[in-house]
Amino acid sequence: MIRNKRLFYVLATLLFLLPTLILLLQSLSETWRFQTGEGLRFQLDSYSVLLSDPKLWSATGWSIGIGAGVLFINLVIGIMTGKALATLSFKGKPFVEAIILAPILIPVLAIAMGLHLFMIRIGLADTVLGVIIIHLVPTVPYSIKIFQNAYRQLGSPMLEQPLILGSNPLHQLFTIELPLMKPAIRSVTFLTIVISLSQYAITAIIGGGRIITLPMVFFPFLDTANSSIMAAFSIWFSMIPLALYVLVEILLLLLPYTIMPWRK
Amino acid sequence: MNSSLEIKDMTKQFQQQMILKDVSFTLNKGEILSIVGPSGSGKTTLLRILAGLETPTSGTVSISGKDVTRKKANKRNLSLVFQQPLLFPHMTVKENIRYGAKLAKKNDEDKIISLLDAIGLSSYADHYPSEISGGQQQRVALARAMATEPEVILFDEPFSSLDPQLRQGLRLWVRDFLAERAITSIFVTHDTEEAMLMGDRVALFNEGVFQQIDEPKVLHQSPANPFVANFLGGHLVLNDERYIPLPSCLLHPPESNEAHETYQGIVEHVTYQHGQTIGHVYIDTLNKKISLPIGDLSTKEELHLYLPSSQIKPFRGNHT
Repeated sequence: MIRNKRLFYVLATLLFLLPTLILLLQSLSETWRFQTGEGLRFQLDSYSVLLSDPKLWSATGWSIGIGAGVLFINLVIGIMTGKALATLSFKGKPFVEAIILAPILIPVLAIAMGLHLFMIRIGLADTVLGVIIIHLVPTVPYSIKIFQNAYRQLGSPMLEQPLILGSNPLHQLFTIELPLMKPAIRSVTFLTIVISLSQYAITAIIGGGRIITLPMVFFPFLDTANSSIMAAFSIWFSMIPLALYVLVEILLLLLPYTIMPWRK
Repeated sequence: MNSSLEIKDMTKQFQQQMILKDVSFTLNKGEILSIVGPSGSGKTTLLRILAGLETPTSGTVSISGKDVTRKKANKRNLSLVFQQPLLFPHMTVKENIRYGAKLAKKNDEDKIISLLDAIGLSSYADHYPSEISGGQQQRVALARAMATEPEVILFDEPFSSLDPQLRQGLRLWVRDFLAERAITSIFVTHDTEEAMLMGDRVALFNEGVFQQIDEPKVLHQSPANPFVANFLGGHLVLNDERYIPLPSCLLHPPESNEAHETYQGIVEHVTYQHGQTIGHVYIDTLNKKISLPIGDLSTKEELHLYLPSSQIKPFRGNHT
């Protein structure tokens, strides 16, 4: 057991902490040519190049806004559908479950053009709402699955108990279900934000060049081959899911019956 | 006495299968009814219908004279204690007890404290469920059900997840707790001993109907039909019409040439209970197994059972 623990720490340091540290150092120094035996020469140029991009702040804002919107809709759809799938039994349930997974079985790009035409027709092309909706396609199936499992783990007796004690469904959601499904909410938060943030093609198609998100600013930098700037950008990029995660954690602290971190 | 809970002509059908068939009964205020029956007999379904977690196919449920059949579970003035304590793990013992009371707008701090006191867990008020034992958890579950001040409390095998010693202690404690406060309650169990211990009356439930509802003594002295006699285990059922109480079965011929019937049996196992040697005897001609004190006979030995004709009784028919 103790040996396993040590192995875990060694592997975690090697595979997670070390690469992050190197990334951070690289973003703060000139391109490191370690094979020449030279050390790191620290500088902040990469960040000034990054910040000099006129679209950086607006793209970051759009990415956060779209990410938050996608997360919120994912939570609403995921919780409602997940609960229904976990607690109800009805004819054709396996079929419904398969259909719900379909969006991640078919590449989004394959249907993006068709969806684009549809969005134009209903007036959602080139709008934030249109982008949010298209981002739901690769995220919602995961959220439903995660919440379905979370509800299944809670079990129906645990969901019936508050009802017996006189709780209505909404009160039950906030006092029992959400507090007990925090791990699922955290998973959905990270997964949704990261997937939404990484969408380049579908955002470009549906956003029509009007909605500029971070990947669109990021991709042109790939040509520079300047690893310092790339590292700085990666750090910037990774701050968004982290910031939204912290925000979600703060919101979770507001749930009733939360054990505050400083309470023993 | 005024009726606290009344069930009329209740039926429940799942697809083609009838789970409950025209079930009717009335409970008076403060009365405790035990419902006992084999697994799959429909007793848990009955309880879930009373709690409002399932809807009946037909029939009505009334609490204190008011029809609540169409009311949802959270609108009924009754509480259900499940097999598992089902405490909310993110709330302390006190918060758990207060949860329902708050919703029922009966959140009186003194009451919560006195309930904590009654279940002997005052010093555990701020502990989380994971920090207390299984028996303590079940007591908290009971206090939580009590805190809403329900008209009726339903228990669905509440002690079955506890070890036998703890179960015995908790049964008596709950029995006194309910009796002191005159709370109308229904206990569902598959254990006859528990049913007799807990209930003022015991109802034997099988195949969707009550086979007999009576006080434990009456139930034991005059079972209504072969099912009741077999389930209680204190009688030898001779056929669909006749039975004899086991204490009346003799291992030797009656002294005064009394008319009697004789059956041959074989001791299959021997166990020791309440300081007696109990033989588990198989009677081939009746295809029945019975358990009775057998003195110093041992396994595989044959024996003769002498049944005095005067002790053989007829079943008095279904009585509910």
